[in-house]
Amino acid sequence: MTREQPTSAPMKHLPLAHMVLLLGLAILLALPLLSGGNDYILQVFTHALLLAILALAWNILAISGSISLGHAAFFGVGAYTSGLLSLESGVSPWATIPLAGFAAAVIALGVWLFCRRLRGAYFALATLAFVEIPRVLTDNWDGLTRGSLGLVGLPGLPALRFGSHYFDIGASSVGSYYFVLVYGLLLLAIVTLILRSNLGLALQAIREEETAAASLGIQVQGYRLLALLLSASLSGITGACYAHLVRYIEPGMVYGLHFSATPVIFAICGGRFTIVGPALAALLLYPLDQFVFHPLLPAGHEFLYGAVIILAILFLPSGFWGQLRKGQFVSIKTGSIE
Amino acid sequence: MWTTVLVSGITLGSFYTLVALGFALIFGVTHTFNLAHGELIVFAGYVAYWMWKTYGVSLLLTFPAAILATLVLCLILQRLFSRLREPMEMNSIVLSFGLAILLQNGMLFFFSGDYRLIRVPLLNQRIHLPGLSLSYGQFTLLTISLLVLALTYVLLHHTYLGKALRATIQDRESAALAGINVRGMGILAFAIGAVLIGLAGPLFGSIHYLYPTAGLQATLIAVTITIFAGVGQIRTLILGGWILGFAESCTVVLLGASWRELVSAIMLLTLLALRPHGILGREEQ
Repeated sequence: MTREQPTSAPMKHLPLAHMVLLLGLAILLALPLLSGGNDYILQVFTHALLLAILALAWNILAISGSISLGHAAFFGVGAYTSGLLSLESGVSPWATIPLAGFAAAVIALGVWLFCRRLRGAYFALATLAFVEIPRVLTDNWDGLTRGSLGLVGLPGLPALRFGSHYFDIGASSVGSYYFVLVYGLLLLAIVTLILRSNLGLALQAIREEETAAASLGIQVQGYRLLALLLSASLSGITGACYAHLVRYIEPGMVYGLHFSATPVIFAICGGRFTIVGPALAALLLYPLDQFVFHPLLPAGHEFLYGAVIILAILFLPSGFWGQLRKGQFVSIKTGSIE
Repeated sequence: MWTTVLVSGITLGSFYTLVALGFALIFGVTHTFNLAHGELIVFAGYVAYWMWKTYGVSLLLTFPAAILATLVLCLILQRLFSRLREPMEMNSIVLSFGLAILLQNGMLFFFSGDYRLIRVPLLNQRIHLPGLSLSYGQFTLLTISLLVLALTYVLLHHTYLGKALRATIQDRESAALAGINVRGMGILAFAIGAVLIGLAGPLFGSIHYLYPTAGLQATLIAVTITIFAGVGQIRTLILGGWILGFAESCTVVLLGASWRELVSAIMLLTLLALRPHGILGREEQ
């Protein structure tokens, strides 16, 4: 194929992008067969899928123009809510996971209290500082959260029964993998619907030109809050799933930089103005980190994330998927992060 | 007991002002939001720790090496940041977030994740003055911090170069019109910032455990004080530093050391809620 001129119709790129997506989906669906029964490969991809889902949820907020450097707050509160409830009361995780989403939304209201009037760099800064609050509280409130020891022996996800079909989720790597994959695809569909609806258009309008959006009658603050609540509750639910899949959580882990930084990194590398870009970046970069850099550099292998985000912001500000699909989802005016 | 809290608040606060000064200067002149500021301080601390541990160099003599190391690093960073497009604040926050991750992992690789402290026995001995008692460590911290702040004040307010720097902080376009080399001032700000970071690092390593992720706290402290004070106002910076230091000392006494990390975060969030337009205090585009 010859290289397209920037002025030509961007529709020409669509088949290539769709082919890449279909190929990726086929690989994901067949992965348990391709991995040849290797549990480690499946576990890495299960975690990569969780990170992809987190990046997808993070991006709902970013579409409206607010970059969060503290999504671990929602992820961690979700993980702890579901973990504690199921551990203390013995209720099935299927009942406590939605409550985790609710708890994360309550935390998001706390963030909103502080960050309502903040934009851009200052919003990012406030979210970075905000994570410290649930982290230090969880660490110190021993009576409620069991403190820095964390929660051990969390119940796994129970099996699902549909008529005569029986899906064992928690007991095997294959079950966990397919559960997270189905959850991810479901979420992708929901996020796509949301972002292509009027809500999505309003959020993009707010990002591109807030004053103009407000003058068109868009309730700017209402939409920003809605995006934050959606993003936070989905992150909380993802945190809860993580807690029941790994079955062990502690404050330094679920509130740590890993879950705050990875969505930012994946979204910026994949393309912050696209829907699937962040998820694709997660599925490429996390396995790359685990399979290639972790064995080479057991200490410090995550330098990869720092390096790719620096390279992306300097040389490819719209991300690799954004570059591939330029002009498809939203127009990219300047190509820089705003 | 309260004099002890006051003394530790003021010594800690003066040191925090030193931590914030480099950040404020770099931000004021170049509008670069350097989230890796704390990581640079921890890095300088590790350089000092490494010299102290392997070569037995005394703490005071590690400063030149730490300054040299941060100077090289900061001048490289200046090149990176200068490639960024507008809006500077947002782009630099994302870039420096990546740098912070890179530095954390680099330090994890070279110095491991163990907690390190530059332990100088002399610093724990106490000086008794009428009415109060403080350790040599606190005395050193206070003296060095205030001395460096005073020197920076003289540099900014009583030299021609300082005048040019302050003019650039106030209005870059007018400064350029007046013939000031704004680009050169940016490089200079990073160089002075590097010296301040190189001074803060070894001190940090002597009062606080060094570990690869310790930088976040220092960054939050620097940002909090800078937002409190604005840029280029050393006296207000000191006030902000003292308030933060005193708040932390009170928290440690009343609630315990494990709640200390909450203080700067809550102070930062409160300040941001009150001053939503941030450090420069004007509406963003």
